[in-house]
Amino acid sequence: MSELLKGNFTVKNKVEIKEDTQEDNSNSEYRKKALESIGGSMVFVERDKLFWDGDDSSKDEE
Amino acid sequence: MIAQKMKNSLSNNNINPNFKKLADEITSIGLNWHSRTILENSKINKKFITQSISDIKKPFGKKSESAIIISAGPSLYKNNILSRIKKSGFEGSIIAIDGSYVRCIKAGIEPDYVLTLDPHPTRLVRWFGDPNFEENLEGDDYFSRQDLDVAFRNNSIEENLKNIELVNNHGKGKKLIICSTAPKNVVERAMDVGFDAYWWAPLVDNPNQSESITRTIVNETNLPAMNTGGTVGTAAWVFALTTLNIPKIAVVGMDLGYYKSDTSYLQTQTYHSLKEKVGEENIQDYFPEFTYQATGESFFTDPTYYWYRNNMLDLISSSGSIVYNCTGGGTLTGPSVKCVEIEEFCELNN
Repeated sequence: MSELLKGNFTVKNKVEIKEDTQEDNSNSEYRKKALESIGGSMVFVERDKLFWDGDDSSKDEE
Repeated sequence: MIAQKMKNSLSNNNINPNFKKLADEITSIGLNWHSRTILENSKINKKFITQSISDIKKPFGKKSESAIIISAGPSLYKNNILSRIKKSGFEGSIIAIDGSYVRCIKAGIEPDYVLTLDPHPTRLVRWFGDPNFEENLEGDDYFSRQDLDVAFRNNSIEENLKNIELVNNHGKGKKLIICSTAPKNVVERAMDVGFDAYWWAPLVDNPNQSESITRTIVNETNLPAMNTGGTVGTAAWVFALTTLNIPKIAVVGMDLGYYKSDTSYLQTQTYHSLKEKVGEENIQDYFPEFTYQATGESFFTDPTYYWYRNNMLDLISSSGSIVYNCTGGGTLTGPSVKCVEIEEFCELNN
């Protein structure tokens, strides 16, 4: 069957078809979403200060 | 009974390098994914703020000398902690996290404070009785996979209705220590119940650095900021230490892990996420085991709880204080953590 569908000319520019692009994007989004939930919903970076009220006196010494 | 210093048997030898790498990534994951939510929630909640934790009257007498933080890990139920606290007649302050509040009420314990932090838009309100329970459950198996409350797991709609009534009856006038990051439905529920709400901001990064999220939230809300360690139990401990200035603090229900004997990987909090991230064929590498030496019981932890555990240990170290871990199991051991039975802590502090 494929013989019947053979083209009769050769294109100049090579055509690269990106297969599964939609699937890659959705997988990537799913992985991002999955990663999002590891660690819970809170941000935590600061490991030294326990309390801060905006007052200079409550800052830790750097 | 003499307290025994627990060895930390969660040594680096037990930790797979890939596990440690993922646990170390969690800080940046949180920063990337959740910063916007906590900022937005804080801005939205600004209009509801009438008092902050700075307005709380300091406890006096026995209430100022010691406190028990009641988290909601599996040891709370397995070790009958609440009935033991009740029986001891503990006279210090009791701080319940949101997830243990209803259990406290059912056990006949009225916490002096209830603390909530998490900004999740659908999962948190259930701890106060969820008026939109079925809608919020739809498509989310987070609780059904791991619900520690068997009654709730088996008959959740009916139990939720009971919880609504319990919180309605017990919550009016109760001091609720509520973070500016709280989601809309928790704020609405709190107002409906009539909690006496004291607001606070989360200290999530160094406020002295440029573009600090903490500084932005504090400037927006005029609230004082407390560190959270990423989780409500740690935030409750920080509250007791830095706002109430209570010197002797015990934690219960702070397992930061799972009982190996009766917990499958599927029942852990981030099972689906982990499977997606690392593949089912590798997933066992992400649940390192730990032995609680007083009982010989085996536990395992996941990257999330391991991260919470390290956060808590870092903050304990920064505070220069000692934490009495009366959980009776789990993975929270280390420098400045004394593992003792809850009766011993209560007797010493009554």
